[in-house]
Amino acid sequence: MSDTQQKRIKIEVLRYRPEQDKEPVWQSFDVPYTDDMSVLQGVQYIKDELDGSLSFRWSCRMAICGSCGMMIDGKPKLSCKTFLRDYAGQTLRVEALAHFPIERDLVVGLEDFMDKLESIKPYIVPKEARTLAQGEYLQTPAERDQYEQFSSCINCTLCYAACPQYGMDSKFMGPGVLALLHRYNADSRDGAQAERMEIVGAEEGVWNCTAVAYCSEVCPKGVDPAKAVNLNKVNSAKAYFFGLPGKKEAAK
Amino acid sequence: MSKLTAGTANRKPFKRPMAGWYKRDPFFVRYMWREVTALAVLLYAIVLMVGVLRLSQGEAAFNGWLAALGSPLSIVFHLVLLVAMVYHVYTWFEVMPKTMPLLYAGGKRVADATIMRGGIVAAIVTNLALLALVWGMRP
Amino acid sequence: MDTFHADVAIIGAGGAGLRAAIAIAAEHPQLKIALISKVYPMRSHTVAAEGGAAAVTQAHDTLDYHFNDTVGGGDWLCEQDVVEFFVAQCHEEMVQMEHWGCPWSRKEDGHVNVRAFGGMKIERTWFAADKTGFHMLHTLFQTSIQFPSIRRFDEHFCVDLMVDEGRVQGVLAIDIASGRFTLIQAKAVVIATGGAGRVFRENTNGGIVTGDGMALAYRHGVPLRDMEFVQYHPTCMPGTGLLFTEACRGEGGFLLNKDGYRYLQDYGLGPATPEPRNKAMELGPRDRLSQAYWHEKQKGRTIHGRHGECVHLDLRHLGEAYLRERLPQIYELAEEYLGVDPAKECIPVLPAVHYTMGGILADGKTASSLPGLYSVGECSSVGIHGANRLGSNSLTELIVFGKVAGLEAAAFAKNHAAGNTATLQKQADAAQQRAMQLVTRSGGTEKLSTLRKEMAQTMEEGCGIYRMGTTMQATCDKVAELKQRAKSLHIGDRSKAWNTEFLLGLELQYQLDVAQAMVHSAINRKESRGSHQRLDGYEQRDDVNFLKHSLATWRGDDAPAIGYGEVKITKSPPGTRAYGAAGEKADADRKAQQQGAGHV
Repeated sequence: MSDTQQKRIKIEVLRYRPEQDKEPVWQSFDVPYTDDMSVLQGVQYIKDELDGSLSFRWSCRMAICGSCGMMIDGKPKLSCKTFLRDYAGQTLRVEALAHFPIERDLVVGLEDFMDKLESIKPYIVPKEARTLAQGEYLQTPAERDQYEQFSSCINCTLCYAACPQYGMDSKFMGPGVLALLHRYNADSRDGAQAERMEIVGAEEGVWNCTAVAYCSEVCPKGVDPAKAVNLNKVNSAKAYFFGLPGKKEAAK
Repeated sequence: MSKLTAGTANRKPFKRPMAGWYKRDPFFVRYMWREVTALAVLLYAIVLMVGVLRLSQGEAAFNGWLAALGSPLSIVFHLVLLVAMVYHVYTWFEVMPKTMPLLYAGGKRVADATIMRGGIVAAIVTNLALLALVWGMRP
Repeated sequence: MDTFHADVAIIGAGGAGLRAAIAIAAEHPQLKIALISKVYPMRSHTVAAEGGAAAVTQAHDTLDYHFNDTVGGGDWLCEQDVVEFFVAQCHEEMVQMEHWGCPWSRKEDGHVNVRAFGGMKIERTWFAADKTGFHMLHTLFQTSIQFPSIRRFDEHFCVDLMVDEGRVQGVLAIDIASGRFTLIQAKAVVIATGGAGRVFRENTNGGIVTGDGMALAYRHGVPLRDMEFVQYHPTCMPGTGLLFTEACRGEGGFLLNKDGYRYLQDYGLGPATPEPRNKAMELGPRDRLSQAYWHEKQKGRTIHGRHGECVHLDLRHLGEAYLRERLPQIYELAEEYLGVDPAKECIPVLPAVHYTMGGILADGKTASSLPGLYSVGECSSVGIHGANRLGSNSLTELIVFGKVAGLEAAAFAKNHAAGNTATLQKQADAAQQRAMQLVTRSGGTEKLSTLRKEMAQTMEEGCGIYRMGTTMQATCDKVAELKQRAKSLHIGDRSKAWNTEFLLGLELQYQLDVAQAMVHSAINRKESRGSHQRLDGYEQRDDVNFLKHSLATWRGDDAPAIGYGEVKITKSPPGTRAYGAAGEKADADRKAQQQGAGHV
């Protein structure tokens, strides 16, 4: 590298060590960087060279594992896909994802998210039986399109960090989980729509959502959870007034 | 099954306060203004209802209401309401596509932005048509 | 210390570990399964796999073709009976994935689509856009949720196996969030911890791919097999090493040198046709393509980039619409990380370490030499990849052998009594003390990031695409030095909750052991085969002396002992690996020969 002048950026990280800190505190680091360095690489530099006690989650570096979400300059982003060059000339503030409890430094507690994910029957309950010998269920590209974008969620929880309703009341199912629920409801092979509608129509289901839609704005994979949640408000209303297709009595 | 271990020792999760959340991100600020415009709808509805009431109270009362509407204060008030209503309509169509299922036309996906633009165009055309109608009916 | 009693413990919750857990839970719902992972399951590196999973599907495809492609691709170092078993199971396992909801890309008629892939004679690679590993992992994880007998230990880091009465008896793990140790006692253990690519400098792997499970088995006397065979994937992002899937080439991409010339035709992979032809040119096997790059670099025909010498991956002729539909993730990677629009410009690429063909010695049923211990997936050497893996064989491997490992471990657990908990708890206490030394001792002088970088640098130098005795020896010496220096590793963070510096120290120790097995296996293999190519007088394949597996046995601080194991040959005697026009001629010759000899 033939830079005569090494570019540097000041990164302020919100630290929190539960065994010694009463509350989180900002710590400043001076980080040399190049134009193609991500914020993740900046944070890794801090851990490797400046302060080995900085803890954060990361793995794939290519925005597919969903580990490295952080608040970067106040916005929820994947740190592996956000670049230091875009914050040149300012102090960059990096903090753990909003609306989650901080366990340590940039690591948040995700048990609530995982519990919610597991509670929605996030698996195919086949509409019709088929043996393995009979081969695959047929599904046209058009049928696949109906759920594909919702199946692209990497569970990065940026949408939860964006959702003020979840921030104010963590009983809300939240955008990512409701998008996954819709992914299964919209899959032509699945037959458990009625059971999942109970979750959809609950207070903590879609009805906690006030269509802020910041979730879809921050989603790094184009899942559009706001759509999954809000179109299910229509489905929920239909189910309430007209009953579910195929069901005799209206769902509560 | 999620983690249920007894390993809560040494952990002290920190919950950050939500107070003032609507100020911390420009997206939230815009959202709050969007929600406030519902008040504009409410206020204008009240103005119109008062008008209906005055109409029921006779010509003098109604003319008094019309005159009040023409005052400078009222004009300013109505302009503010108009700005709010325009923003209300715009953001309403921004959200509307989110309530609709995935739409396809000619094998291609109809983008939410297209639906939004369609709604706004329909709103503009309808309003212009109404204006023209009212303009043509003036004494 | 908490003790959890399970019947089977599975370390690693990627594709293989999840498939094993589901197999046990579905078949034996009364067995208690502990599924232990140092990350949440959806972060496992299976998630990053892109291109697809192979299974004989089309009417004109046969198990023999898949078998021959795999054995030839592995340069005849495969366990042929295991490969025969493997290819016969692929299709059913893939249908099972589909039944569980995997969103396979489809043909217009609703059947699953297949695409061409490197080294495969007939198209047989099932794919889910260009995110096959992602979709398979999420399908498996979400499917696993319906089984209450699978108890997950998310974000638990394994530090040792418990062994007593001559068999494995469980695992000691740290709950990362609290720093507390938990003994997970089990009658059988399946290791599914993935590969070890992070011991190299430039690699496609995520941070977690550090050979943990390999080291755990290795340190308990289980040999690591064929560790010298490390796959360099030919098309990776310069600097980060991130993967541009082989599917780019399957869809018709070209590889060009600085003169815009499709150079692969100079290396026995031609002739160059405008349309992709299976097993030719850009659809040749990965080791050949990486080696061709190396030669172009020596000739000065590569393009000089900020992060090293590149070649160009040309996708322009496919057009934006097609690219966005078939290779959307690739499009995004090129645009966001490199500022390159693949519909308009070539993508700069170079080879980076991608896959570890070798691993824990496993028989065809995934069993190791330690009773009760099984291994599956990239951490394992069950014998299907040999000296070079064909793309899209490893995703199918996860589910075919994941099921086998799960059922075998369950059978073992059912046939054995639980071990002595008191003995195991004492063992666990001792193991905890050993692990904690990193943060309890004082006077450490060595910096973690320095040791890690020196390891990665020396492995790149000694175990690169082409190898020489002198550089391999230098790497052997360097790794020994690093293992010594690691004893003075300084870990500044002494906290308990989320102490990742401590975990990185443990991972470094795993990596150094695995790296040592790799380089010692390499220097002792005095031939060139598959992805192990030498330039120091051993440029040829030597079936007389080296048609055998390398076996590395741990010797603590000392260098590993390198022994050898037989290769099982059944239907395919060692031949020449021929691709392109030469390959087609070889196939025709072989067919004529078989017909002449009365075979069909």
